[in-house]
Amino acid sequence: MTTILIVDDDDTFRTMLQEMLSREGFHILTAGSGGQALKLLNTQTPDLIITDILMPDGDGIELITTLKQKNSPIPIIAMSGGRRSISLEFNLESAELMGVKATLAKPFSRETLRRVIEDALR
Amino acid sequence: MAESTTNPMGEITASYTRLLLQVALSDDPLTTEQALIEAAALGQEMVNRELPLEEVSEVHHAALVALAKAHPELPLAIVADRVTAPLMEAYMAYSLAFREQVEQRTHAILTARLDQLRRLEAIGTLAAGVAHEFNNILGSIIGFSELLTDEIPADSSGARYLHHILQSSFRARDLTAGLLEFARTMPETPEPMDVVPAVRETIELLRATLPAHIRLELEGNPGPAWVMAEHNQIQQIIMNLCINAADAIQAREGLIRVGIDALTSTPECATPMIRLTVTDNGEGIPSELQARIFDPFFTTKPPGKGTGLGLSVIHGLVTGLGGHIGLESTPGVGTRFSIDLPALGGAGTPDTAQAPSP
Repeated sequence: MTTILIVDDDDTFRTMLQEMLSREGFHILTAGSGGQALKLLNTQTPDLIITDILMPDGDGIELITTLKQKNSPIPIIAMSGGRRSISLEFNLESAELMGVKATLAKPFSRETLRRVIEDALR
Repeated sequence: MAESTTNPMGEITASYTRLLLQVALSDDPLTTEQALIEAAALGQEMVNRELPLEEVSEVHHAALVALAKAHPELPLAIVADRVTAPLMEAYMAYSLAFREQVEQRTHAILTARLDQLRRLEAIGTLAAGVAHEFNNILGSIIGFSELLTDEIPADSSGARYLHHILQSSFRARDLTAGLLEFARTMPETPEPMDVVPAVRETIELLRATLPAHIRLELEGNPGPAWVMAEHNQIQQIIMNLCINAADAIQAREGLIRVGIDALTSTPECATPMIRLTVTDNGEGIPSELQARIFDPFFTTKPPGKGTGLGLSVIHGLVTGLGGHIGLESTPGVGTRFSIDLPALGGAGTPDTAQAPSP
């Protein structure tokens, strides 16, 4: 069974994504921050990570940086509510530059999510 | 200015005639000195009352005539010598006060422009934050609504309601996309570009989408016009203005003209500029709305047709490129937006600088 780690500090959104992807037949792990996710990754190896990139406690960009420095082979999908924002450090374009597999601009439809996950796992 | 009366010239001429008489008739240096101080005060007063420089010599002339009439016995040689000093004094005071007035006004204009810029920047930062949070919230609403569609029979009224919830959520998403675009006032990588091909391309694109009763033309055959910008910024500016123009034309037979001119200087700026204009023969913008038209969320379009962000986005783009945006509109006649962008040296069309024709 394919395992996906969802990282988002927004409880409601994380619950929604967990529910949605469970229905699609994935096994789901969740973390509420980048730090939690890194801890979890010490013991678990998901097939895919979907992470928000702007979180107060250990943000997603840091999570992505750490994983890239460790040469982690796990594909990453970065999500954010701001496609482009004034603070250039925290946007999807910078995540793209850091080599994530795909980006998702919130909000997105289930169709888009399915397609992006399918591409990322290929 | 506050105590301005119906005939400021009469008052000033009377005072000046009085002091000229004093100077002409008195041998007392103290009296003369006092009169010169008054002459200087009158020069300054004339600036305060917005009277042109030529009036100074007219006042002097009128006072001389009055003096000659009242005292024909005065020897011309003495009078001519004595009365020059007050004139000089009035002239100098006028020039000094005039220069100060111009400096103060320029400063006021710059401050006002800077204030507007700061206000828009603050709104931009706020807008980006709100849009970001809003997108997170919409993500949950849309996601859970989609999950709910799995639970509800497809032909039920519940499914219809859900469809409406989703539709509305996607409309809200479009609105936040506009907000984020507005917030992004900084140009990413402007580079030297000739605006003419970008404008031509945009016009071609737009022609395909505009209704048949609206003609869209490029004025004349403009030569190369180089500015620092991004291709899509120029496109976005022209596209937004033309779409607004088309909306203003509505049912009538319409004409939208896009102009590209090289200006050697404008009242706002002494350096060469490239001026893009979009002129329509639409319904025009009432003068009471003209000041608010660049404010975010200001729209005259019916709900659902416009977010009210288009012009504020353009304002942000143009300001980010170091340019200005201007508006002239006459209700019932039409509207013209002009965008002035700093021209890149030596690459503009030579000798085509001209005042815009209405």
